[in-house]
Amino acid sequence: MMPDLDQHGHAETKEWTPDVKAPVVMLDRVSKQYGRINALNGVSLGISGGVTGILGMNGAGKSTLFKLLMGKLRASSGAVRLFGTDPWRNSAPYSRVGFVPEHEKLHDWMTAFDFVVTFARLYGLTRDEAKVEATRVLDFVDLKDVMHKKIGQYSKGMRQRVKIAHALVNDPDLIILDEPLQGCDPLARTTIMNVIKELGRMGRTVLVSSHILHEIERITEQIVILHRGRVVALGNSHAIREMLDQHPHKILLECNKPKDVAKSIMDIDEVTGLHFVSDGKLLIETRHLGVVHQQLPDIIVQNGHQVTGIDNPDDDLQSILRYLTGGF
Amino acid sequence: MSSKMDTIWSKLDRKATAISEFTMRQYRTRVSTWAIMIAAFLALFLMLLFYAEAMNSEVEAIDNDNDGLFNEDDFDWDNLGAYNSSVGFDDDGDCTNRTTVSQRDTNDNNIECDIKIVWNAISEEWVIEGDIGVDEDPDEEKYVKEAGHRAFILGIGKFGIVYLLGIFLPLFLATGLVREEMSSGTMHYMLAKPIARGEILLYRIIGYLGIVWPYIIVICTLLCVFTGLMGPGDGFFRWADIGVWMSIAWATMMVTLVYGMIFCTFGILWKNGVVLSIIFAVWELGMAFVALFSGGDSPIQHFSVIGWGLTIVDSGVAMAWADNNTLITMGLWGGGHENMDWWSGFSENEPLPGAEPLSAFTGNPGLGISNWLSFILSTLILIVQAAVTWFIGQAIFKGKEVD
Amino acid sequence: MSESPETPFEPVESKENDTFSTETPVTGKSKMTAAWSSDEGESEGVAAVASLPQGQVFEQNYQPWNGTLNPRWMRNWAILRHHVLGIFRKGHRPWGIPTRLFIFFVILASCTDIALALLASLVGSTELYDMFGVNRNNLYGHVLGFWPRNILYFPVVAALLVGGMISEDRAHGTSALYFSRPISRFDYASMKFLSIAIILFLIIDGTLALYYFSEVLVMGRGWSWIIDTFPMFLGAFLCGILLSFTYTSIGLALSSISRGRFFPAIGLIAILMGTKTMAAIINGLFDKSTLYVISPYDSVAHVCQAIMGIDSSYGELSWTWSLASVIIINGIALYLLATRVSTLEVTRE
Repeated sequence: MMPDLDQHGHAETKEWTPDVKAPVVMLDRVSKQYGRINALNGVSLGISGGVTGILGMNGAGKSTLFKLLMGKLRASSGAVRLFGTDPWRNSAPYSRVGFVPEHEKLHDWMTAFDFVVTFARLYGLTRDEAKVEATRVLDFVDLKDVMHKKIGQYSKGMRQRVKIAHALVNDPDLIILDEPLQGCDPLARTTIMNVIKELGRMGRTVLVSSHILHEIERITEQIVILHRGRVVALGNSHAIREMLDQHPHKILLECNKPKDVAKSIMDIDEVTGLHFVSDGKLLIETRHLGVVHQQLPDIIVQNGHQVTGIDNPDDDLQSILRYLTGGF
Repeated sequence: MSSKMDTIWSKLDRKATAISEFTMRQYRTRVSTWAIMIAAFLALFLMLLFYAEAMNSEVEAIDNDNDGLFNEDDFDWDNLGAYNSSVGFDDDGDCTNRTTVSQRDTNDNNIECDIKIVWNAISEEWVIEGDIGVDEDPDEEKYVKEAGHRAFILGIGKFGIVYLLGIFLPLFLATGLVREEMSSGTMHYMLAKPIARGEILLYRIIGYLGIVWPYIIVICTLLCVFTGLMGPGDGFFRWADIGVWMSIAWATMMVTLVYGMIFCTFGILWKNGVVLSIIFAVWELGMAFVALFSGGDSPIQHFSVIGWGLTIVDSGVAMAWADNNTLITMGLWGGGHENMDWWSGFSENEPLPGAEPLSAFTGNPGLGISNWLSFILSTLILIVQAAVTWFIGQAIFKGKEVD
Repeated sequence: MSESPETPFEPVESKENDTFSTETPVTGKSKMTAAWSSDEGESEGVAAVASLPQGQVFEQNYQPWNGTLNPRWMRNWAILRHHVLGIFRKGHRPWGIPTRLFIFFVILASCTDIALALLASLVGSTELYDMFGVNRNNLYGHVLGFWPRNILYFPVVAALLVGGMISEDRAHGTSALYFSRPISRFDYASMKFLSIAIILFLIIDGTLALYYFSEVLVMGRGWSWIIDTFPMFLGAFLCGILLSFTYTSIGLALSSISRGRFFPAIGLIAILMGTKTMAAIINGLFDKSTLYVISPYDSVAHVCQAIMGIDSSYGELSWTWSLASVIIINGIALYLLATRVSTLEVTRE
């Protein structure tokens, strides 16, 4: 094999192929200990396709989980597999993975273009291919105008975009983003979220960890909740909410005469509790959210009540997280 | 399932050039790299000034043979051999008045009225034997300049370049090759790629060599040109010195390779690997001194890296300056009467000035084999040391968790 | 959501802004134009501005603080204490384990002459005593002997100490902890300087004092002996101070120009060893001692040889040149340190 010193020609076809039967990301009873601290404890999950949110309090093990996937740490026990291959032993799967790390450190002395091109070549691209791809992704994250400026001169949001561009340069099947919204201004957040949704729709597998729960809700319903190194919930967020029996659903009604409304609603079998939270607000508790919601409009209309607002205050991720993690 | 190992080790050339180029650029853009290189260059240039001064100064003549005349009986500079030399026909009347040839050539070397200097390989010592009545009064200035010039090249070459540059360039540039990336978190951008950790280590080293080796070659070339032009001798340039400078450059290149691997591995092994590197550097200094004081003959020096580097230089010198040992012997003898018990240590003459430094800085390759073989063997051993260190380094790196 | 009457803002009416609401269909190549558009004004990515029917102004009253600040020396003492006690106590500057271990090792190793002198007195051997007992040369050698003290022990300790002193503060932005308090930059630099110099001083002169006084104790020396030898001891003591000062100033100057932990340490070793080696080579080759003036170690050693009345090992070089060199080297180092610290910008890099 002659060294490709001129770097012309095309990247060779890949010899490693992902295992099509295996989930994209798989953890099988994975534990990770740092001395006496149990960062992860018997975590098992499999993820393939779509956008999945990884949630948890600080110290829940999210970063550890990601580092295990990225081959930075070795699991104390259990199996970690990316596309069916153990990333600690074999870094071949990384040709299909893009990772946006949490910490900010970049090579400040390089231009964004140089940075993306140099590290794109580590996927085996030739110089020309790398330049083309780098231009494409930097255009995608809208840094094309400034891509020849040094990263040291960039703002936080721009640095975040450079990292995203770097992760997308090899058109990966799996994209992992660790706190991608950290340090971004509100407009930036929305747009990054749109990009993530887009990637999910294109059939990629995207893992996102974030503290900004209401924005995770906007892009995905598929979540994994970690708490103290264990998986406490996995799957569709609404389904999970349904399962949290010990925390009845709440419906908040805003009306002029709460007492009258309450009298009508009391008849519904599924309603387990009624509270008058303030002048004009009625809180209904029920274990069957859907059933009550179905009957509510009829009752309101038939009795001629004036209701100005209906809300589900705790059918969101924040409440789920609070209920599952004990509000710590 | 396909062969997974292929993928990491494929398209090596692209990944290799990417990382090596990146490393070279990274170091090129750092001020500290330039500061170190310029400081080293200035230091060597400073020493060159002393050399220039010495080459242009006058040396006092000594009457070596106590006959009231100065420097009338100089060595035969054109016929200095490696093992068998003669100071040349002495026509000043000390022995030319003898009648027969055999009386004029009592030392039986077919040159009348001379003194021969021969290396006796069996008894491993130099023998100086003269025809009866002959004595020598060599030209101090010529000798001092020649010996001083050679001693300077050897001193600067072995200690200034092979040792100081060879240790400090890797100490500054190679210790942090992997460790700094790991500490700052930017190692992630290289690790999260389909590339083996051993490759990363190797390519980073290659990038580091891409900075250090050209620098060494430039320094040695400049010094070669300056000393070649300023040095003593009849021609305008001393072509024979090129071989010596090449061996100095080659030795330094090999030594920076090995030290680079070692210090980089120390850095990978431990966050404070620089402490180990400094201690190792001091050990190597000790070994360099052992090599110097033993004239290259000590076996202890071969338990180090620098010892083999110095052996490369010694082999190169033995090949380029074949007459070096003869010159030293003649200088230590100091001229004078041939019948003095020179070899038994008794001599009324002082050694010629410049002979002792030259003798001190010259080493014997000391392996008991031919010079070329010494050269090649030392090179191979250094390469093996580098390879073994790489192997150990990448094994450690593979098992390291990078937080 | 209904507005409560207390808010001073009217409801915002957003303009046609369909690029980034949640209902926007995500199309194939969505670009992040909206958030960071460097557009020329043609696109519609403009956010509307809220209008204020009424506003509020909050009056700020700034008053100077009339409290009392503790004296300057107390603050400086706190810095000094933090650095020096950190060597052997928890709760102060966390010097790394290798640094502490090495200092411990060097203290032990510096005491070998004490051990040997004591051994000589135990055994009663006069030859051994002459070699290791207190005398002019041994006092000098305790402080300025080249091998191994001034090639391995003291320079490496100095290198380990100065390594991250200022460079880490620059790299991690912890200099802000000092400069956001009433601590002047001069105090900052001088306390750091003093702390390293004190540690070195304790190692070098502490063991020297131990050597001298253990001899007095063990050999039962009387006052006449002490009167005879005390000037020599004092001379060596002063030399120890000079050596500590010089190593500290060079090392700290290097630490102030670098950002890493490696560079100052290696740089100090390189300067000390490199200049010494170069000067030794030139001396060996051409019999010229002039180059010793660039070597900090040799300059200090030469001056100390003059102070202690020991024969100079530096040929025809006059000790006044070495003294000038010591002053110049320290001057340059301190100047560099002062300039760098005074222009230190407190940003996290």
